[in-house]
Amino acid sequence: MKVVTWVLRILSIAAFVYMAYLVYSIMSALGVWDWSAPYDYIVTVFRLLSLIVFFISIVVFSGIIASVLGAIPGGLVSGLYNTLVLRLWYLQPYRVDGPLTDVNAAFAQFLNNIMDLATYLFETTFIFLYFLCAGVGIALFLQSLVRMEHKYVAGAFISIQVILILGAYKGLEVIDMNPVPVDFVTFIFQSAQILALVSFAYLEISYQMIYSYSVGKPVEDREETLKKQLLALRKATRKQDAIEREKISSSGMSRSSGATVFSFVREAIERKTIGEQDALENLDAISDVRRLQIFVDELLSSDPDARDELTAKAAAPSSFYVISSTIMGSAIRFVSVLALSFLLINPQFIMDLLNLTPGIQNSAELNQPEIILLFLVPLILLFPFVAMVISSFVNTEEEKEELTPEEKEAEKERKRKLKELKKEAEIARKEREKAKRGKKKGEGDEWDRALEETYGV
Amino acid sequence: MITQRGFVVLFGGILLLTSGFSFYNFYLTLLGVYLIVGLVVTLPLFATTANIAGIEVERRISKVKVFSGDFLRVRVTVKNTSRRHFDFIECWDRFPEVWTLAIGENFIASRIEPNSSITFSYILQVRMRGRYYLGPTEIILRDRLGLHYYRRIVFEKTEILVYPTWKDVRRLESMGKQRQLGLMFGAHRTKIIGMGTDFAGFREYQPGDSFRSIDWKSSAKRGEMMIRQYEMEKNIQVVCMVDTSGSMGNGYPENTKLEYAIRAAVLLTHMGLERKDLVGTCVFSELVHSYVPPSTRPNHMYDVLEALAMAEPSGWSDYESAISYVISQTQKRSFIIWLTDLEESPAPLLNAMKTLVANGHKAMVISPFGPWFEAPVGQFGPVDKVLAEAVSEELWERRTKIAKALARFGISVVNVGPEDFLPTIIKQYETAKQRGVAMF
Repeated sequence: MKVVTWVLRILSIAAFVYMAYLVYSIMSALGVWDWSAPYDYIVTVFRLLSLIVFFISIVVFSGIIASVLGAIPGGLVSGLYNTLVLRLWYLQPYRVDGPLTDVNAAFAQFLNNIMDLATYLFETTFIFLYFLCAGVGIALFLQSLVRMEHKYVAGAFISIQVILILGAYKGLEVIDMNPVPVDFVTFIFQSAQILALVSFAYLEISYQMIYSYSVGKPVEDREETLKKQLLALRKATRKQDAIEREKISSSGMSRSSGATVFSFVREAIERKTIGEQDALENLDAISDVRRLQIFVDELLSSDPDARDELTAKAAAPSSFYVISSTIMGSAIRFVSVLALSFLLINPQFIMDLLNLTPGIQNSAELNQPEIILLFLVPLILLFPFVAMVISSFVNTEEEKEELTPEEKEAEKERKRKLKELKKEAEIARKEREKAKRGKKKGEGDEWDRALEETYGV
Repeated sequence: MITQRGFVVLFGGILLLTSGFSFYNFYLTLLGVYLIVGLVVTLPLFATTANIAGIEVERRISKVKVFSGDFLRVRVTVKNTSRRHFDFIECWDRFPEVWTLAIGENFIASRIEPNSSITFSYILQVRMRGRYYLGPTEIILRDRLGLHYYRRIVFEKTEILVYPTWKDVRRLESMGKQRQLGLMFGAHRTKIIGMGTDFAGFREYQPGDSFRSIDWKSSAKRGEMMIRQYEMEKNIQVVCMVDTSGSMGNGYPENTKLEYAIRAAVLLTHMGLERKDLVGTCVFSELVHSYVPPSTRPNHMYDVLEALAMAEPSGWSDYESAISYVISQTQKRSFIIWLTDLEESPAPLLNAMKTLVANGHKAMVISPFGPWFEAPVGQFGPVDKVLAEAVSEELWERRTKIAKALARFGISVVNVGPEDFLPTIIKQYETAKQRGVAMF
């Protein structure tokens, strides 16, 4: 299985690299890969924050002075403060390059500066996001190769595609296929189609890779777990043996009585010396480990298949089946997805097939992408419907827990007996009560007197 | 059924599709269509192949009756009887929560071909007595991309009866081996002359006496044939009354009063059988749940274990019904040991004891004292501590009164906690034997 997984891993790498390269090429043609953009973006964010803090500090300072003096500070105080701040704070890039003696002037300056900065930030945000998505996509892709989890594959795929979505949102002329070719061959070899196919292939191959990994992994994990468990068990037993040997040698006792007896002698001694519940519980745990070791040893020696069954070695699927079904499954999916997508994305073909009236065929809506929904929704819903119909023929219903007739009878019998017993007990109790009530007070025997003496009743 | 992963693909497709619509971009629309179609296109095919009814589960276990604390090997075979392969099948074999998975895993995930099977096994440590079931088995079939699944629960259950723990007996046996405790037949000495080992005296030979019994030395001295006589050794009959009322279930899990009472009953039965005494067991609450009459049959121990395994703490203690039942079933004089927490009203208990003594039986009460089985007082807060101590004092006072009432008629009450429960039962049994209580 490992070979199959490695082959699929290489194919996945190839598909991702090609997909990423295509996206890079498309965006590169639009000149968005300005390598200084991320740095500019981060610096701009910090500048914007600095400006806001500067503005707030002016306002707060003026407010405090106004509350103390009872009037807005004059030009001298504000000028002094701002000069001090400007000396300490590098604000030249914001064009705040001189002391602002008037608060209102500071406001006006701030509004101008912040708008400029915000516009610049908006421009650089997109470029920054392209880089961010690319970085995240590559990181998730690398994670997917190591961790073999679907979420990383999906994350890498979406991250790379988001670059194009953002580009489209920004209004850039990213890859498109307008108008959609009517000819199937032309359709296949369109650059947008190739990118879509490569992207889909990346998903398909990566999911197949995870399947091939996960289908063999549980068996490998079981084997590994079993090895660890047996090793831990062996170590624990050896440790106990070592402790016992140490105790025996230190106490000078004979070895002839056997290890089992020694453990119990030790137990007895410890019970006397320690005599606590914890100590006894520890001894129980030690005893359990030893018994488990004996159980496992006996099992492995008496049954040659025991180890294979514990590891479920025989359950490992053959590589041949996995390869053949991978190729077959992927091919079917590819062809059907390609054909169906062509039909859905190209409504003209269906229009011709349906022989609709010229009024509909020539309508402007047919050239809009939304027309796809008209065919997509019913077609997509058709598949789950067909699957449901098939499932109703094939018994996939969840079973209900039902008792066999014998079990039902036994349960009935048990309840009947319990009822009878309860009835008998109730009758006996009533009779006893009756007998007690019938007794006169003076007839109380020694027991009753004892009760009376003890409880004073 | 679409998996969570499938929904992610669906949402991804919708995102791309709507992006394509919004930005008038056919590439994004196309990719969205790809994802959505890719998600559902194999659904009918998966529904055709996933004939989950074609999955059969067979479970085999090494033994159906085990002692608590023992290990059990469980083998599970999953068969695909259909003509289709399953790309990815997950199989979870469930076991009781209180048990421990010692070795292996109760889970397998693999691919299974038509008409083939996969077998896996695991080792469990059985905990807590009672009747348990292994299973059901949960089967999940997934398509290879993990986008769809079908689930089925196979209600194939395997019943297992778990006896009370045997560790006390193991301990006793091992310590007995070391100390050479009196395991001999009839350790109790009587003043009755008969077969035994302790010398009682001499008498004159009578025709029919065994030649082996002739003491040649004294015969030579006396000038007539003398026979050696020994004290006869006899056995006792004990009935262990295990109270399973609701209050006996109090305490830490696995260390409740009832669990200790059951362990004590097991130990007592084992000791009795070792010494050829007759030990019976009655499990009762408001009715007699089971009664195993005193016996020395080879399977007697298992009958007792089975009766005790099924004991559940519930209801209240009807001492009178229980003793009436036992007396009606027991012909010989018996030594009746009550394992009860005495938390019911005293009158029925005293009436039961009256019936018991009136029928010539002897009795004693080994009573687990509730607060000693609960959490240590030190773990409580100040208010809880005061309350706990008040409750404890009241219970103790009540118990003292009952003990006084019972003492007038020669029935002793021994209060026990978790630490001295088992030593007490051993001691009381030995004392009863030495005193020759309820010999037969």
